[in-house]
Amino acid sequence: MTDPFSLELLTNYLLVSAALFALGMLGFIARRNLIVMFLSAEMMLQGVALSLVAFGRYHGNWSGQVFTIVILTVAACEASIAMALVVVLFNRRSSLDVTLWQDVREAGVAGTELADEEAEAAPLSTADGIETYPHLTPAGVEPAHPIQPWTERRR
Amino acid sequence: MTNGSFILATIGILLGATGTYLLLPHRRGEAKPRTLYILGGTFAGLGLIGFLLLLTPPALSPLADFVAGSFFYIFAAGAIGAGVMTVTSRNPVYSALWFAGVVVSTAGLFLLADAQFLAAGSIIVYAGAIIVTFLFVIMLAQMEGKAVYDRAARSPGRAVFTCFLLLWSLAYCLATLPGAEPSDADSVVSARQRLRRGRELASFYPEGGPAQARIALERSLRPTSSLFVDGDPMKPKPNVAGLGEALYTDNLLAVELAGAILFAALIAAVVIANPRPMTALPASKSDA
Repeated sequence: MTDPFSLELLTNYLLVSAALFALGMLGFIARRNLIVMFLSAEMMLQGVALSLVAFGRYHGNWSGQVFTIVILTVAACEASIAMALVVVLFNRRSSLDVTLWQDVREAGVAGTELADEEAEAAPLSTADGIETYPHLTPAGVEPAHPIQPWTERRR
Repeated sequence: MTNGSFILATIGILLGATGTYLLLPHRRGEAKPRTLYILGGTFAGLGLIGFLLLLTPPALSPLADFVAGSFFYIFAAGAIGAGVMTVTSRNPVYSALWFAGVVVSTAGLFLLADAQFLAAGSIIVYAGAIIVTFLFVIMLAQMEGKAVYDRAARSPGRAVFTCFLLLWSLAYCLATLPGAEPSDADSVVSARQRLRRGRELASFYPEGGPAQARIALERSLRPTSSLFVDGDPMKPKPNVAGLGEALYTDNLLAVELAGAILFAALIAAVVIANPRPMTALPASKSDA
């Protein structure tokens, strides 16, 4: 007669959902790509849905699952509208960087100067050139590399 | 939940914060040496193990409980690990793929909580959303190489501190909850009694209450709102049938509202994504 879904199991579910929520918040704060920020917001929604399902199972009613279905609906709406907004923003600045849009912030809040920091950004990894040349005796000027050592965008 | 295990979990959360900070992109987009990544991965893995120690293992005696418990650990570790990789990946395509891992692990946890329809539904809905996101990433961002804004994070130290402080305080609240035993069993209502389950309300409150309380109790404990037949945990209702019954009897207004929100979002997406018609269009038409 006792329910196998005990209070300890509910606590387990709530801990996992808290971790998912905190990680999604970290991604939303720390990352600068609009699409990755959107994914992090979806991860926060996943954490909340997990805790709702666990609460509903603990109390033995359908309310948690019904609420999770509503969350799924809202997440789908959010995905469609966010993708439309991302397309519009990308067409304006041709970049997915969210710090380009910090001039729409609230008045009186200091913005971060990231333009000069980007100028000195190093490549992801110091890779060798695309083409590797054989070690021959140099007989003149080495030809110009057709492709830069890294093909990172600076925009 | 003992005190020692919570101290261990605190150390685990600290290790996880350090590892996540090492795995995050540099503030100015500088390249990190490979040893830092290995160190960050090791710290994050140790922190994940420490966090999993905070979870209470279920009763391990019967085989079914053992299998369910081990699957719970697998799915929890998968969800949190894939979440860390989603946040820290430089490549947005990899972020989307790791997020699919988060969704699959969460669907497994849904299955363990007897929510089969939601497990399937979230995989279907989010897999569709992930594929759409994927297409957008390929079309917009991945022309060649990785952009500077993918290799640089925005104040990663403060962000890691804030989010892991939130996680630690949530874990502290949850860890101290069941262990708060009443000092005096007669006068102080224990935490377990305050966390009375919804279906046990009828037995908790006395029968001879006022008529309004009884009517409210009957409305909140309808047979359609219960997960079980006759309130017996050994006799669960069929999942989709029971969920549909609960949706279309008790929560009909929520279903209507969800449909209305979908319709509004459809119109909004069309309006936002389509370019506004040119104001000079009539003049050019008159010229032509």
